[in-house]
Amino acid sequence: MSVAKPLPHDAARLHVTGAARYVDDTPTPRGTLHLAFGLSQVAKGRITSLDLAPVRSSPGVVAVLTAEDLPFDNDVSPSNHDEPLLSDGTVNYIGQPLFLVLASSHRAARVAARKAVIGYAEETPLLTLDQALAADSRFEDGPRIYEKGDAAAAIAAAPRVVEGTFDLGGQEHFYLEGQAALALPQEDGGMLVNSSTQHPTEIQHKVAEAIGLPMHAVRVETRRMGGGFGGKESQGNALAVACALAARHTGLPCKMRYDRDDDMVITGKRHAFRISYRAGFDADGRLLGLEFTHLVNCGWAQDLSLPVADRAMLHSDNAYAIPAIRIESHRLKTNLQSATAYRGFGGPQGMVGIERVMDHIAHDLDLDPVELRRRNYYAAPGTATGDNTTPYGMEVSDFELHEMTAQLLQSADYAARRAEITAWNERHARLKRGLAFSPVKFGISFTLTHLNQAGALVHVYQDGSVHLNHGGTEMGQGLFQKVAQVAASRFGIPLEKVKITATDTAKVPNTSATAASSGSDLNGMAVMAACDTIRARMADHLARLHQLTPAEVIFDGGSVRIGATVEISFDEAAKLCYEGRISLSSTGFYKTPKLEWDRIKGQGRPFFYFAYGAALTEVVVDRLTGENRILRADILHDAGASLNPALDIGQVEGGYVQGAGWLTTEELVWDDKGALRTHAPSTYKIPACSDRPDVFNVALYDGQNREETIYRSKAVGEPPFMLGISAWLALSDAVASFGTTYPALNAPATAEEIWHAARRVSDGV
Amino acid sequence: MYNFEFEKPATIADAVAALGAEDAQALGGGQTLLPTMKQRLAMPTKLVSLSGIGEMQGVCSNNDGSLSIGGATTHATVAAEAAAQYPALADLASHIGDPAVRNRGTIGGSLANNDPAACYPAAALGSGATIVTNAREIAADDYFQGLFTTALEEGEIITGVRFPVPEAANYQKFLQPASRFALVGVFVAKFADGVRVAVTGASEDGVFRWSEAEQALSASFSPEAVNGLQVDPANMMGDIHGTKEYRAHLIGVLTKRAVAAAS
Repeated sequence: MSVAKPLPHDAARLHVTGAARYVDDTPTPRGTLHLAFGLSQVAKGRITSLDLAPVRSSPGVVAVLTAEDLPFDNDVSPSNHDEPLLSDGTVNYIGQPLFLVLASSHRAARVAARKAVIGYAEETPLLTLDQALAADSRFEDGPRIYEKGDAAAAIAAAPRVVEGTFDLGGQEHFYLEGQAALALPQEDGGMLVNSSTQHPTEIQHKVAEAIGLPMHAVRVETRRMGGGFGGKESQGNALAVACALAARHTGLPCKMRYDRDDDMVITGKRHAFRISYRAGFDADGRLLGLEFTHLVNCGWAQDLSLPVADRAMLHSDNAYAIPAIRIESHRLKTNLQSATAYRGFGGPQGMVGIERVMDHIAHDLDLDPVELRRRNYYAAPGTATGDNTTPYGMEVSDFELHEMTAQLLQSADYAARRAEITAWNERHARLKRGLAFSPVKFGISFTLTHLNQAGALVHVYQDGSVHLNHGGTEMGQGLFQKVAQVAASRFGIPLEKVKITATDTAKVPNTSATAASSGSDLNGMAVMAACDTIRARMADHLARLHQLTPAEVIFDGGSVRIGATVEISFDEAAKLCYEGRISLSSTGFYKTPKLEWDRIKGQGRPFFYFAYGAALTEVVVDRLTGENRILRADILHDAGASLNPALDIGQVEGGYVQGAGWLTTEELVWDDKGALRTHAPSTYKIPACSDRPDVFNVALYDGQNREETIYRSKAVGEPPFMLGISAWLALSDAVASFGTTYPALNAPATAEEIWHAARRVSDGV
Repeated sequence: MYNFEFEKPATIADAVAALGAEDAQALGGGQTLLPTMKQRLAMPTKLVSLSGIGEMQGVCSNNDGSLSIGGATTHATVAAEAAAQYPALADLASHIGDPAVRNRGTIGGSLANNDPAACYPAAALGSGATIVTNAREIAADDYFQGLFTTALEEGEIITGVRFPVPEAANYQKFLQPASRFALVGVFVAKFADGVRVAVTGASEDGVFRWSEAEQALSASFSPEAVNGLQVDPANMMGDIHGTKEYRAHLIGVLTKRAVAAAS
């Protein structure tokens, strides 16, 4: 059975040789036009004059479109209809698309786009959380509040209290392949769109609205993305819609891709937060009451900010049973790029909040931080003596972290290393090493319950080969391979017999984004359903041919055994069924069970289950400069019964490094006009291969999902990102060794931030 | 990029003649100039490549113990050929940019450009080098005149650089992690008659000598000698990669590191 085998990514060879085709590699018909947006140069105001004559006369330009030229809906928002494709005259951030240039080449379009002469009536932009809060500039009427018990009273009665406020920066997705789309007009006015998107159905929906046709007239195909990370959940809409509009306008194929600088300036990023906390606890470190305030920088449009901010609230407990908690979340509207989905979808920000509280309490009590965490853990299944519910009232019934923590501490030799590091630090004044543990408990399911559905389409051809299609998209994570392994296992055939095909809205309709880590869970189940339907039909027919029951027909090892004596190849079985006029094609459908969620009350069961992880990171810090290195990371991650351990470990490694990058080197800087100053890899530092820990031990926890998921596996896309929090905590631990006060690190903890923190700790500055 | 003429003379004399044309520009390794031209931030009518001039290539020792480096010598060549005579200089050259930059970029090009975050200006000023042009010799102390500004006249070519070889020297560079340019770089050189300390990357006026540290280190060449000395943050650069205070502080740290590594 191919499920659970550590097989390489299905396109690994194509990726490495360069043969893998992305949107921009797709051969285009002669006459294809190339598009570029003209971008706003001011952060807030109104356009008073727009002279496009120099753009139109620029070499290679075929047409220039403004909002007035758009025939139907001028909107690319995934949520609130507040995001015009082209400015309606109002300008909301530096980088906002104002007009669209159609030209004979990518370069000609970009060159022309810069030639517009634009007059603005500038207004004072809201750029910071403080400015937005003061102006009461926000999404939703007021803050969202989730509560359990009376946190204020619990804190007032608590023997000890810590409090603090810290800033948590955003993050650029930095997918290797930038945003891209290609639209091919069809004979009947319809549109075929090739898009680098995590959400083909959304592209279909927005394109259909923009060109005034039903969804059936628009077909979207996505073979693969070169990375998504959430940045292609809604941010691809603008390019695909622009291409479709331009194709409709000219009757010619149209392609658009953002140059990297444009991509960084135009598209949304991870939400930056400011988190304030007040925690009451007893002398043993048990949390009694906790209050969080989240200030969320959403940027100019709503996009996915509400569910992102919700998910931050839903992860403010992380792995800890907190008797009384209040979380207040302000979704602030500013004149910056509209922040969007990013791996973890707010979960990481919420989790950093509570892990910061744990770090602070451990420092306050001078208690081993791992021991503190364990004392506050939710109860293991079957061991709860009292309340074991989350702040939103969901029973935690699959808590694996007691065992996982014990295993990781042992395999990583925690106690001995802690002692050795303490001794080492006493001998060294300038360099200090730090060691920190952090757990992950991440809720799996879309919090918008209706999104938790998926479809699949499977064909068995008369030669026994299988065509596989489902609604999930491949962004490098290996989803297609994992789902193909499921299909091969259902038919008992070798993986090579299963053909993986591009995601296509004409094959599987009404799909959800490949997001919320749900790809394998949802699509794996839908494919299983489709395969099982076909297999049952085949078994029924073959059984009848031999006067047996379907239960006596076994699909295994590329063969079909019919009763005790007959064995034929799967290929022969397919041929027999075809000749017996058996339908060898089926759709499959899945919807996640048990979900019930009221996001306004903050009550219910938003998640089917939780995925867990545990990480221990060791760092070294130089007091004089703030320079630092991750020396070692040990990770134990829960992928349930893994569908493919090789791909899952790849996700864990990449997630950890990306999470650590977010909290250490990746610093987004806007100037006081609202212009993003870090819009290229020369100014924005993502982790490189050489930045990964020298010692990097990653293992999967030997368990299985307690809920009935596909082969009892667990989602693995987002959860490991939050293992990187341990790197930030390890830096805090190291800095704390320079003095006695709490370091109170902000994030990202750049070298300069660490230098400041070390000075605060050692000089009291 | 705008259109331009291209010439590749074989002698200094021919290069000087070619640079007489209006808006002509000398081309070293092109590691700064070509990207600038691609951005259309420069529009020379003619590029005069210096890479074909044999007399501007290579590293050699002089009778007085100093080291002469041709202006068109690449960083990679300096890294390889200066290693025996002036290891600190070779080490600096071996850490400029990446291999592509080191195989194309030249010492003359770097010094003529005088980028505030470049490494070579620190070596030249820190060593008290002499910049040799087709017309004259310029002491490093007179040569660097602010950001991207030097004593070079229009059409003047750096044909070579003459480095006195110190008793001990070291260069310490604090990398801006994304671009790997120097956020601050400090070159320390100890000569029989005193110590020179040159700082790049940090000041709003480009490379400069930290005279207080030089005095202290001339009296006692040890990291502790720098204790208590502090560069005034007011004149430092503050930008998205580091504050003035951080840069001023790093100068002290890197100076000590350089002294420790050199002594």
